[in-house]
Amino acid sequence: MSATRGPDGGSDATPEAGSSRFAIEILGVQKHYGKVLALRGVDLDIEPGEFIVLLGPSGCGKSTLLKIIAGLEDPTDGEVYIGGRLANYLRPGDRDVAMVFQNYALYPHMTVRDNLGFPLKMRHRAKDDVKRQVEAAASLLQLTTELDKYPDELSGGQRQRVALGRAIVREPLAFLMDEPLSNLDALLRVQMRSELLRLHKRVGRTTIYVTHDQVEAMTMADRVVVMRDGLIQQVGRPGEVYRRPANRFVATFVGSPPMNMLEGALRTVDGSRRFEGPAGLDFPEAARLDLPDGELTVGIRPEGLTVVGPSDPAGVAAQVELVETVGADAYLTATVGAGATVTIRVEAETSPGEGEQIHIRVAPGAARLFDAAGDRLPLPGERG
Amino acid sequence: MFLGPMFGFFVVFLVIPVVGTLWWSTRLGGIATGTTSAGLNNFLRLPGLVGATVAIQNTLVFALLSVPLILVGALGIALVLARVGRGASGYRFLVYFPVLVPGVVAALIWLFLTNVDFGLFNEVLRLFGAKPVTWLGSGSALVVLALLDVWRNVGYWAIFFVAAIIGLPQELYQAAGLDGASGPARFRYLTLPLLRRILLFAVVVSTIWGLQVFDTALVLTNGGPGTSTTTIIYRVWQYVFGSNDKVGVAAAISLVLIVAILSLTVVQMRLLRARRGGD
Amino acid sequence: MSQLVGTDLRRASAGDQRIVAGHVRAEHRRRRLAGAGRHLILGLVTFVLVAPFYYVVLASLKNGTEIFSYPPKLLPIPPYLGNYHKLLFETGFPRWMFNTLLVAGSVTAIKVVIDSMAGYALAKLDLTGKRAIFLAMLILLMVPLGALIVPLWAMASALGITNTYLALILPPLANPLGVFLMRQFILGLPNDLENAGRLDGLSEFAIYRKIVLPLIKPGLVVLAVIIFTDQFMSFIWPLIATSSDNLQVLTVGVAALRSHGGADYGLWSAAAVMSLVPIGLFFFALQRQFLARSLAGALKQ
Repeated sequence: MSATRGPDGGSDATPEAGSSRFAIEILGVQKHYGKVLALRGVDLDIEPGEFIVLLGPSGCGKSTLLKIIAGLEDPTDGEVYIGGRLANYLRPGDRDVAMVFQNYALYPHMTVRDNLGFPLKMRHRAKDDVKRQVEAAASLLQLTTELDKYPDELSGGQRQRVALGRAIVREPLAFLMDEPLSNLDALLRVQMRSELLRLHKRVGRTTIYVTHDQVEAMTMADRVVVMRDGLIQQVGRPGEVYRRPANRFVATFVGSPPMNMLEGALRTVDGSRRFEGPAGLDFPEAARLDLPDGELTVGIRPEGLTVVGPSDPAGVAAQVELVETVGADAYLTATVGAGATVTIRVEAETSPGEGEQIHIRVAPGAARLFDAAGDRLPLPGERG
Repeated sequence: MFLGPMFGFFVVFLVIPVVGTLWWSTRLGGIATGTTSAGLNNFLRLPGLVGATVAIQNTLVFALLSVPLILVGALGIALVLARVGRGASGYRFLVYFPVLVPGVVAALIWLFLTNVDFGLFNEVLRLFGAKPVTWLGSGSALVVLALLDVWRNVGYWAIFFVAAIIGLPQELYQAAGLDGASGPARFRYLTLPLLRRILLFAVVVSTIWGLQVFDTALVLTNGGPGTSTTTIIYRVWQYVFGSNDKVGVAAAISLVLIVAILSLTVVQMRLLRARRGGD
Repeated sequence: MSQLVGTDLRRASAGDQRIVAGHVRAEHRRRRLAGAGRHLILGLVTFVLVAPFYYVVLASLKNGTEIFSYPPKLLPIPPYLGNYHKLLFETGFPRWMFNTLLVAGSVTAIKVVIDSMAGYALAKLDLTGKRAIFLAMLILLMVPLGALIVPLWAMASALGITNTYLALILPPLANPLGVFLMRQFILGLPNDLENAGRLDGLSEFAIYRKIVLPLIKPGLVVLAVIIFTDQFMSFIWPLIATSSDNLQVLTVGVAALRSHGGADYGLWSAAAVMSLVPIGLFFFALQRQFLARSLAGALKQ
């Protein structure tokens, strides 16, 4: 059903309603539960066909946002547009979105075939049509041999695929996935991740994926939306978010082991500006910043610190406390100067041992600077 | 032993009497006056014995009337009650209250309601200008008895179903909503199948209860008018303690009842083993 | 809905925006109506279920002529207490109530003990023939005392205990429902607790008394409530088992009013009301436990 322009004919600039550039738009959405603020003003535009991941810790509002898009909850304020149409008052079934639940929500008293066909049956599609769609989805998800089984006869991975299938048969405008992989064991999770991506490339529909696992987000997303306490912290491609985090929270949440954070201050000493960090770690770049004196935090990822020889002028002494080897990498936990601890990534083969004294320096360009409020400061030369 | 005392009572007062009923059903005479063996005579006589067949018939009709009404009503109430937020506990209390009323007292209350002159039912009819009805007349007494039972028991099952409905996983309903299922569709394809086991249980149990009707029949209508509300247990009581002294026949009818109850119990046990109840 | 459904609000004219806002309001109104509708239905249902009680209370406070008057008085002013007076002083009502409370109380007390013991045995102990016993109890669970009148009466006569409290108290002890309930409850307790007790050298009975019992207290309360109410309402067996006036229980006595006394409606309604008082209070105080009875049944599935 397509709406037309307003009674005044609209201006040339008014697009045909229902044909927005974006698949889903979220404007100023807020959600309170009594005194609890689950979402505090969220704006987001989702491109058609993209795989966008809502990432954040528990309670950040990502699942709430998903449910609001689905229509399972109403926003306290704000608007949701699906396919260019205002969806606020539309029932979930009328919104043309399909959802994959964390616990799959398969109908336990129906066979896989009936589960898959249910959405189509509810929309009164012809029986042959339903049969065709169901079998197509089944073959796509390798469920053809399970069609006549019941959910409790299936493994976790299979159930998940049925849940996916049920969403796929509807050919909706967008898929909404609420932590679908978190109930699977680690190995299965990795497998399903690539399967989901494969599926997405084939089917190509807009997908909104909610997770608290940043590895999932980084590996699967076209774009990542990092959320915390009901607000969006940053939106961008995974590489963006990783290399240029918008604030301290994003910087430490994304990436494992987390980014090292070193507190320091920008001061003017003898007319020249210096950054004074722990144990004398210096960041000449900081001095070039056009900022008043004040507190400054420097963030460096473990791979941004390198072990150097004692004679390196930029090197700083550190004491290795702990060595954790993970495959070909080793992560050193070391104390620098007056009690600051950092994590350093080195090759496992050449790794220093525990208790050793080493020297480390910051790789050029690896430092990220954060002001007192936690937002990242663009370095000169950066596009920000 | 732990099990001892309970099991002891169980055997003495349940198992032995069941066997005892079997024995008595092969006797002729009265308890006080002594009995002689009669083999299976009593059973053979049963179909011909009007008193017995009427009782069985009445009881069946009664169950057929009351059980569906009770369960449909209870399910309806439960569906609404499950979704109501405020005042839910108040409604639950009120709905359940008639369940606590002893049958005798309930019958007394209904004697009031159905009284031709000042009964509530006729008062209401009069309010609408209709003519007063003889509720306990020979055609309608059994129906009124069934309605009484519905009034008494609907609350029990309503609460029972509410508990079951609330136990159903919410996510399934969310998924169904997204799949485009309307309210009635959700009921038909989701609620009903998921409640199948519970409903079957309810049907069997309430039928078994229905077959035992006695106290209300006694107090409300004394088995009448005529024999229109004479139920199985009522007839048994008459045979044993009334002037009839037909112990054997009474036992035979009791046995029929026991067998009916046992078969229903077994049927239920089998049905509950059936899969895909949606647990 | 008009063709303006789904109009993009930000770019629509003010007029369109108002129309869409109207749709939003309509949706909210629809939901409120649904809620109100539910209350309406429930209100109607509860009215139908509860109105008879009010009617009877009314009648109990009217004297003979008032009862028959039309249109009926809806408020009992001034209340006529003659019915109650008659009930309490000229019939055996107080005795009946006493008997019922005594019998129901005894049965409850005894059954709480033996049922929980049996439930514990079935749940946790290894016994030969346990399955057979369990099955036997399950099958005969639903056979009521009413179907066993003939042999029970014969048995009672033979034992010479007809017309005694014993006859009223003993047979109801046979019902296995309580055992199943207790077994269900006890099954829910983790085995480790008793194993710890065994390791500590406690005897089985001590384990039962000190570990299991305290943990199933809520279950015991539910059980007590169920047994008490069942006994309170039981009719057939007490009717048969006792013949003398001072052993009548409440239900039997009240039924006797109907058959012996002629149509004294005032008295009857007073009897009805007075019968309901103890149970009503009991229920009000212990609502949760009563409703737990149904939950327990549902859980049994």
